[in-house]
Amino acid sequence: MDDTRVVNVRGLCKSYGKRKVVNDVDLEVRAGEIVGLIGENGAGKTTTVECIQGLRQPDAGTLAVLGLDPLTQADRLRAKIGSQLQSSGLPDRLRVAEAVQLFAGHDGAELLERFGLAQLRRSAFASLSGGERQRLFLVLALVNRPRLVILDELTQGLDPAARRGVWAAVKELRSDGTTVLLVTHELEDAENLCDRVVAMRAGRVLASGAPWELIGRYGQAARITFSLPPERVPVVAPDAMVDLPGVLTVTHLGTQLTVTGDRAAIAHVGAALVSSGWVPPDLCVRIPNLEEALLDLLDHAKSDAPRDPAGAGPRTQPTRTTRLTRTTRSTQLTRPITEQIGAIR
Amino acid sequence: MKSPMRRLVQAELRLMMREPLTLTFVFVFPVVTMLIIGGSFGTKPDIAFDGANPSHWYVASYLTVVIAATGLIMIPVHLASYRERGVLRRFTAAGFSRWSFALAQMVSGLVAIAGGSAILLAVAALVYGLPGMHHMGNVVAAFVLGSVAFVSIGVLLGAVLPSARAAQAVGLLLFFPSFLLGAGGPPPHVMGAALRGIAAYLPLTQLTDAVRGPWLGIATATGSLAVAGALAVLATALAARRSLL
Repeated sequence: MDDTRVVNVRGLCKSYGKRKVVNDVDLEVRAGEIVGLIGENGAGKTTTVECIQGLRQPDAGTLAVLGLDPLTQADRLRAKIGSQLQSSGLPDRLRVAEAVQLFAGHDGAELLERFGLAQLRRSAFASLSGGERQRLFLVLALVNRPRLVILDELTQGLDPAARRGVWAAVKELRSDGTTVLLVTHELEDAENLCDRVVAMRAGRVLASGAPWELIGRYGQAARITFSLPPERVPVVAPDAMVDLPGVLTVTHLGTQLTVTGDRAAIAHVGAALVSSGWVPPDLCVRIPNLEEALLDLLDHAKSDAPRDPAGAGPRTQPTRTTRLTRTTRSTQLTRPITEQIGAIR
Repeated sequence: MKSPMRRLVQAELRLMMREPLTLTFVFVFPVVTMLIIGGSFGTKPDIAFDGANPSHWYVASYLTVVIAATGLIMIPVHLASYRERGVLRRFTAAGFSRWSFALAQMVSGLVAIAGGSAILLAVAALVYGLPGMHHMGNVVAAFVLGSVAFVSIGVLLGAVLPSARAAQAVGLLLFFPSFLLGAGGPPPHVMGAALRGIAAYLPLTQLTDAVRGPWLGIATATGSLAVAGALAVLATALAARRSLL
């Protein structure tokens, strides 16, 4: 057996009544990884981690967490797991220091200091802000030095500043070597924090991989736009740009030039502009993020895709050039067209 | 380091003292109503009160009001609100065993009853003087068994009722008729036959009879004591079963 696997789930199924919430899910988390379980609300993420924690009884499948069975060895397992659960609270009148004492049996001074809660030791749970509560939940999840930390919707309802504070805290866990299973529908969280993400929809795993891999696999092209005054056209030579490595399309609409392509195209277009001696002042580069990539994937999955256990993607990939034909009254160059132009020349 | 169970009990006791509902219903309500009702009928022995001093009759009756307030209102509302707000899930996920929370509730309930009773008796001693206890063994046995029975009923209600509001509604609905007919209201002799018939079947009436009778020397009430004992066993078994499942 591969002993680096902290979580090993095979064929997990769980139904509530007639509704199948988790359907044949496989999931692996290796030691030291931060893995994100992502998907829309109702995708089955929380039920999956509740089964992993032994809080729910699966209908089918095998689960091993830290080498233990969550169902029959829940008490031993829970002592080794730190949990931040979705929609769960603490007694309103319990104070911060009392909560730590209750969960850990010691004052947890170092963690309270590290998460900026030291001055709130005597504050009641009900008086804490959303960010402070989440940081307290993190402290409680970590206070017993768990080998695996499960964080479910950690940044839900937080303002951007509080969210970044929580991100910084989770990144510190990575440096400590703690294994983290992060459950979220906030793809920005996953992109910023995770080594690997597993995308779920309607109880099934749709795809998995590093965030950059999923962006590359499912995201749209990077888009470079800048204005190109007529007098600069001969210098910049937009027609030639379509031959640059990684470039998919070049669209010239009025005085606006748009180049799409993979990430390598960004460097090559930049280099071409610099070597032409003119760098447009309004140069803008838009790189697809995980959210866009996953929304594309989920949209696709809604319409037709069957399960893809290997995470190889849906049956049909969106055709990038088709997506870019919406522009009207413009000149659009794609590789096949330039090849034709080249042939005419 | 203290065991998780001890830490949980300690935290629950501390929280109980900060809970307005507990302070109101367990510590204040029985004292205030005892002073009002107990002061309404004077101190002259009366046949309607089985020949006892009415004030003393109510002092002996109101101990069970503390027990009922704890078991029918404090514990169910507390437990149901914890479940509704995900506190129980968080505790379970943190490794506290399922039964430990129910046990912590039972301990805090019994401590609340002890505290509420002590306050009640202290006030009664100052205002009316405490009546002499004729059969102390029976009184103590009834008090302990009744406390265990009602605390277990509270844990059971808290485990079954879905929300704090539901627990409050059901708790108040169970508490006030029991309080008025079985402990703190008019004496049974002035009630109509129908009300007296209903009152006789209420667990709180049985418990009050089991405490008041031997205390004031009206009756040994061993039948009522047996009912309190049976109720304690049954309610504890059901609460334990519900908490473990």
